[in-house]
Amino acid sequence: MNIQDNYLKNKKNIFFSENKDIQTYREKLINIFENDRLDKKNNESLKNINLKNFIDFKYKYLIPEETSVINNNQENSYSIVSVNGQCSSFKDDKIEITTIVDEDYNDFSKNNTIEKNDHFVNLNSLFLNSGFKIVIKKNNNIKIKISNIITDDNLTIFQKNNYICEEGSSLNLIEEYENKNNSSSNILNVIKLQKNSQLNHFLIQDNSPNHNLIITTHSSCKKDSTYTQKVYNFSEGYVRNFHYSELIEANSEADLQGIFFLKDNNTSNNKTFVRHLAEDCKSNQVYKGILNGRSKATYFSNTHVDQVAQKTEGYQLSKGILLSDNASYFSKPELKIYADDVKCSHGSTIGPIDENAIFYLRSRGMSKIAATKILISSFINEELSSIDNEQMSEIIQKKLVRYLSNVK
Amino acid sequence: MNSETLNTLDNYSKNKYKYGFVTDIDNEKPKKGLNEDTIKFISLKKNEPDWMLEWRLKAFSKWKKMKEPKWANLNFPKIDYQDIYYYSAPKGFEKKPKDLSEVDPKLIETYNKLGIPLEEQKVLAGVAVDVVFDSVSVATTYKGELEKLGIIFCSIGEAIQKHPNLIRKYLGSVIPSGDHSFSALNSAVFTDGSFVYIPEGVNCPMELSTYFRINAENTGQFERTLIIADKGSYVSYLEGCTAPKRDDNQLHAANVELIALDDAEIKYSTVQNWYPGDEDGKGGIYNFVTKRGLCAGKNSKISWTQVETGSAITWKYPSCILKGDNSIGEFYSVAITNNFQQADTGTKMTHIGKNTKSKIISKGISLGKSQNTYRGEVSFLRKADKARNYTQCDSLLVGNKCGAHTVPYIDSKNNTAVIEHEASTSKINEDQLYYCRQRGLSHEEAVSLIVNGFCKQVLQELPMEFAVEAQKLVSISLEGSVG
Repeated sequence: MNIQDNYLKNKKNIFFSENKDIQTYREKLINIFENDRLDKKNNESLKNINLKNFIDFKYKYLIPEETSVINNNQENSYSIVSVNGQCSSFKDDKIEITTIVDEDYNDFSKNNTIEKNDHFVNLNSLFLNSGFKIVIKKNNNIKIKISNIITDDNLTIFQKNNYICEEGSSLNLIEEYENKNNSSSNILNVIKLQKNSQLNHFLIQDNSPNHNLIITTHSSCKKDSTYTQKVYNFSEGYVRNFHYSELIEANSEADLQGIFFLKDNNTSNNKTFVRHLAEDCKSNQVYKGILNGRSKATYFSNTHVDQVAQKTEGYQLSKGILLSDNASYFSKPELKIYADDVKCSHGSTIGPIDENAIFYLRSRGMSKIAATKILISSFINEELSSIDNEQMSEIIQKKLVRYLSNVK
Repeated sequence: MNSETLNTLDNYSKNKYKYGFVTDIDNEKPKKGLNEDTIKFISLKKNEPDWMLEWRLKAFSKWKKMKEPKWANLNFPKIDYQDIYYYSAPKGFEKKPKDLSEVDPKLIETYNKLGIPLEEQKVLAGVAVDVVFDSVSVATTYKGELEKLGIIFCSIGEAIQKHPNLIRKYLGSVIPSGDHSFSALNSAVFTDGSFVYIPEGVNCPMELSTYFRINAENTGQFERTLIIADKGSYVSYLEGCTAPKRDDNQLHAANVELIALDDAEIKYSTVQNWYPGDEDGKGGIYNFVTKRGLCAGKNSKISWTQVETGSAITWKYPSCILKGDNSIGEFYSVAITNNFQQADTGTKMTHIGKNTKSKIISKGISLGKSQNTYRGEVSFLRKADKARNYTQCDSLLVGNKCGAHTVPYIDSKNNTAVIEHEASTSKINEDQLYYCRQRGLSHEEAVSLIVNGFCKQVLQELPMEFAVEAQKLVSISLEGSVG
């Protein structure tokens, strides 16, 4: 089914389809897909992707019968279960949760400049059917854990979440994606950090082979704010992690990190993009990948330094280990620099596990498999040991052990 | 072909016999624009066999269906291919300055700084010189010596006449004419260039250069160079010239193909200093060059070294296809952009054979309002066992109105291959600058010294006489932009 029919047929299930402004914007988007104006060769969002599968999909959405549960067990700590991308409203003196409204949609789609060519963001804008907005109020220190649940098979979730951290607030956000059914989710997180706020964002992805997860984050940081993101991808299904970050005021920081573990026929596409638009900002982009079987991965990283962004520090690192003959890894670490007083660098390596290191361990009496496993663990040890949340660290260790049990 | 065209062609060929080739060339310019007649005219002018004309026309038909590649980070007005003369070499004598006093004094100044002898200056500036000129006789002596060793070194036009077997076998084998629109364009209308064949086991005793070739002056805007190194041979080839070359032509689309068979080695060095346009970004050459080397045999090696300081637009990716087992590809580059220059340059290393190695060292320096991009691709195909790549690209920014960009593409499909890539971007180190100033160097001298040090890794790869001039050239390129 083509995009337009798909849209018209399911209009009643799509957010804001009555709003005229949004209507015109969406028509423009449909036009791009319909007239095949997609630059398939040079568009990073289309690399390694059979676009047809993503355009010719069967739209299906169920409004959840049971509303999500919001628990406030401990002080300053909340756990949320979002069902089919929806979350019921909640309000206390520290946080406020609501569903998204037209303004939130417009706010992003109209100011959407860097993701203009990201066709999965466009698909999300077109078929939006769920989402929520969380505001962390001034000077609060909050922990939130969100579990994402999908109730039925073959659902197509198009979700948009807004996170706003008000001045001086601090948020520890853990998102879990562990779906076992054949659905697909296209999630867009829009994060706004006000002055002097902080967000630590953890994403744990562990879906079954038939679940597609497309997740995009757009964060913007104001003065003295810090955004840290850590992505752990253990999924057996397709996962796309595209994360954009804008440093719009001085002295802000963005740290985007990720590790992916792939096997069999799995594919994962990753991208981090940091735009330095003000002075004295720092950014760091680190992705590590372990690829086994016939898996494929791409990683695009991009640091853009605007002319005014003097005293920038921007670092990128991409590392990949190929465990099998048939795995492949594509990396494109890009620097675009228009200011002169900057320190920017990138490093990228792809290779097998160091044979000398294996030899060393084997000469100490270890089997080859055990040696390989130890070396894989040490490859990502730096990232794992930096997790300061004990519970999280345990979860990830368990998943790592599960992944390693398949390494031969 | 209809009878009318045949008649026209016939007339042209008669004219040629009547008036000779060189003297009356201005009357024989084809009309502006690109069409089959232009190509037929060029082919006829060069007295080419039918198969060559066919080859050109085939490339032309491909070109018609193609669009210019868009990936580069370049910004320039659309090229009007119908507003260009496709056969303009050699230029008429009356256009040339009669002596050095008529040449742009700025140009002379630069020549003097580079230490180029007076006679050479004349040639470079396009002054009409007597036939008995030193370097010409030098060239012929060299030619004799090369012939003794069985080395073929002539213009590509001559090679098409004299060595059709080699041309038919290798021309377009590394850069297929339909590769992209500039290669198709070049294949259709190329007018001159060099042809080098080094026979089996021969170590070419001297550095070959376009400069030593008698008809070097004729090198047109669509240059085609083909170098074949047969088994176990070695050749070092120098292209271009360190001195700035003023040229009316706006578009240059050269193709260079290198083929190294078993155990052969080719070293190709370029210093490109075409007219970069003035301080306001007006004028200047658009340089769209395709250079590709094929390491066809085992243990072969191809090494590219380039110093790019000229041209308003540089679009250039000298690349290596490492097909033979144990073959080696190297790329050393310095690109300096000043004023409004734009450079998008880099390399492509495709590892196909086992144990193939490649090394990329790229240094980019941006000044003024220029944009300097490194774009490179390293790919390991499935069978490239134990392949190895090391890439280093550093950028230096001088001033806050320029841009430095690094866009590497890294693709690995083999789990025994190892790839390492690192890049850094920074401005000139204040401490180093302070140190130099303290020792009594002026600001400009200090910057020049630091930049030269920054490029040293690449400059030392150049053949001796080139390296000295290139160092001076780096300093000259920086002039007037610092402080």
